[in-house]
Amino acid sequence: MTSRILVVDDDTALAEMIGIVLRTEGFETAFCADGAAALDVWRAERPDLILLDLMLPGMDGIEICTRVRAESGVPIIMLTARTDTADVVRGLESGADDYIVKPFNPKELVARIRTRLRPSTQPAGETLRIGDLTADVAAHEVRRGDTVIALTPLEFELLVALAAKPQQVFSREMLLEQVWGYHYKADTRLVNVHVQRLRAKVEIDPDNPKIVTTVRGVGYRAGAVV
Amino acid sequence: MSPTSTATHAVVADWRDVRAWPRRIALAWRRSLRFRTLALTLGLTALTILVALVWMALAIQNDLFESRIQQVQSAASRATQSAQTTLDAAVVESDTLALQNLMDRVRTSMSRQAATDMIAAFRISDQPSSTAPQDFEAGGLTADMLTSGLRQTVRRDAGTQWWQSIGIPADDGGHAPGVVIGQQLILPEAGAYEVYFAYELGSEAQTLQFVQVTLWGVGIVLVVLIGAVSWFVLRSVTVPIAQAAETSAKLASGDLGVRLPVQGEDEFATLGRSFNAMADSIEAQIKELAELSLVQQRFVSDVSHELRTPLTTIRLASDMLNDQRAAFDPTTARAAELLHAQVQRFETLLTDLLEISRYDAGSVQLENEATSLAHLAEDVIASMQQLADQHGTDVRLVAPGGYSPVDMDPRRVRRIVRNLLGNAIEHGEGRPIVVTVDSNQEAVALGVRDFGLGMSEADAERVFDRFWRADPSRKRTIGGTGLGLSIALGDARLHGGTLEVWSELGRGTNFVLTLPRQGAGLRGTPPIPADPGDDGIPSDDLGMTQPLDLSDLAQGGRP
Repeated sequence: MTSRILVVDDDTALAEMIGIVLRTEGFETAFCADGAAALDVWRAERPDLILLDLMLPGMDGIEICTRVRAESGVPIIMLTARTDTADVVRGLESGADDYIVKPFNPKELVARIRTRLRPSTQPAGETLRIGDLTADVAAHEVRRGDTVIALTPLEFELLVALAAKPQQVFSREMLLEQVWGYHYKADTRLVNVHVQRLRAKVEIDPDNPKIVTTVRGVGYRAGAVV
Repeated sequence: MSPTSTATHAVVADWRDVRAWPRRIALAWRRSLRFRTLALTLGLTALTILVALVWMALAIQNDLFESRIQQVQSAASRATQSAQTTLDAAVVESDTLALQNLMDRVRTSMSRQAATDMIAAFRISDQPSSTAPQDFEAGGLTADMLTSGLRQTVRRDAGTQWWQSIGIPADDGGHAPGVVIGQQLILPEAGAYEVYFAYELGSEAQTLQFVQVTLWGVGIVLVVLIGAVSWFVLRSVTVPIAQAAETSAKLASGDLGVRLPVQGEDEFATLGRSFNAMADSIEAQIKELAELSLVQQRFVSDVSHELRTPLTTIRLASDMLNDQRAAFDPTTARAAELLHAQVQRFETLLTDLLEISRYDAGSVQLENEATSLAHLAEDVIASMQQLADQHGTDVRLVAPGGYSPVDMDPRRVRRIVRNLLGNAIEHGEGRPIVVTVDSNQEAVALGVRDFGLGMSEADAERVFDRFWRADPSRKRTIGGTGLGLSIALGDARLHGGTLEVWSELGRGTNFVLTLPRQGAGLRGTPPIPADPGDDGIPSDDLGMTQPLDLSDLAQGGRP
């Protein structure tokens, strides 16, 4: 099954070039050059992943990201020319799964996309318990009692990665490698921001986390099963 | 106000320490305009008043004394004359008794007329006479109160009156000021007598004392009043001056918003207006410059960002072409390869340029993590092992300290170390490179020492300049942008640390990065000095044991 990727970028040359690269790698592509039209195109195309430029005419990438996240957990990778803390963090906080800094090379782009599209590495059919939650890996579903908690694929994977080895403390670097597929030193803010987002969804009191607990100076660990 | 009050405060603070007084007063004299002016005013006024008072006191004293002397002289003179007249008219025919009576009468009348009861008379001739009346001393005037000089003068000169100041014994045992007047009186048959009248000057002395006390009192009050008046007057002058000084200091220290209050139309108002006009003009110019600089920085930043999107397209295209170059003919394949390499170089340059523009804009924020510098150095050395092997360079780590984690931005520090190590490998001539990590109470430091050609002092001074290259003809293998060391220096400074270089032709180069521990500034001696001292001869037979004893290197001999 070929994956469909929506490229939202106002620079048509770059969008076309990305399209060429992606098609060479066997992806299907769709394009949108206008921020204001991006949501409509997204709803019409229903892509498997969005490549989203942060600076767009009409509506900026962060706004689009927030609106898409309100409706869907579709993987979003930001394209950004600015690595300044505020921009990247704002993008991640609004729900982007990952980001790539311009200029990037084709291999890097494809690697990032493939990581986000790959099926979960956890064995299917397994059911994991974390705190008072139950995670059904095959169904990609997390429940508290009978209530289903909606998580994005990334958040689900992050939670499952922690839950699969409840005794282990995961450093940010380990999570970056396992969940984001980075095999070199990458931005640990990715982990921090997404742990915050995950906690906001799964914790009863996000200020006093019981599901994803912080191990000071080391990293994170799944909460004890209740 | 502050310079004055500080000085005053300092003087007041340790006033108990008497030994420190001269120093403090000298300090106040130097530092406080008000103190100096006040001291001068008080000193000079006090001196003037003192002179005036002394002069007045002397004049009054003189005048009082003179008039009293004249008064008593004329009284004594009248009394003597009238007594002489009585004596001349008297007829005593060697009658001792009659003579004595006459003498007593004369004495009483003299006492009345001269208005004093301190009278004494002594017969001048020492020939015994049976009729001559006896000498007398009345009212407390005795012979031993008179000086022999006075008595001789009176005896010698019959017609003249003489006077002399004396002390008259008082009741309390002391002496009251007085005057004695001497003259001759001729008794019929008995011959000449010296007659002395003594007068007390007690009341005059009292008057004089009163006048003097009043004068001194007035003098002191005057000095105090003048002091107070000048203090207030000076205050009205020095307060605005101190205010102006303080405001100027604030302005000088960068607070461009400060202004002097302007009141009235006097000289201070003029000063205030001029000062404010100057401050306005400075503020406007600095704002303009800052805006210009901001525009410039934003421009560089925007350009760098704007370049990134097309560069991404170029990069993707060149990578793609490069990947497929096997399918091209050799010339096109080479072209694709060159394109690919140069695009990469362009990209590095752009990244560095953007980083520099961030420093210029001051918009860089550190993302600190507790990091062990020794482990970080180990990582970087491992990551650059391949490059080192290509150059046949042996990189050693000597880390006696620096293992405990210190707050730093590891990405930036890693970049610094990579840059330093890259330079060392490139310029190290294949000789060993020694990376030293050490720490002390205040700082951690990392030194990268190569034993390559080194640089001249003039070159070493410029290594941190942007786009500067030590030797343009030198072969380049890493393809740096010429911005690496500028960025490394910027990163070091962001951490509050330093990046120093030592280099000598023929001895190699030593870069030392020093980062302060959290909360501590860089004080005292750094953990690793930039100047390696007399260690430095590169050697091919370096021992492999760690830590390296650098003094052993000296045995190796020069290249």
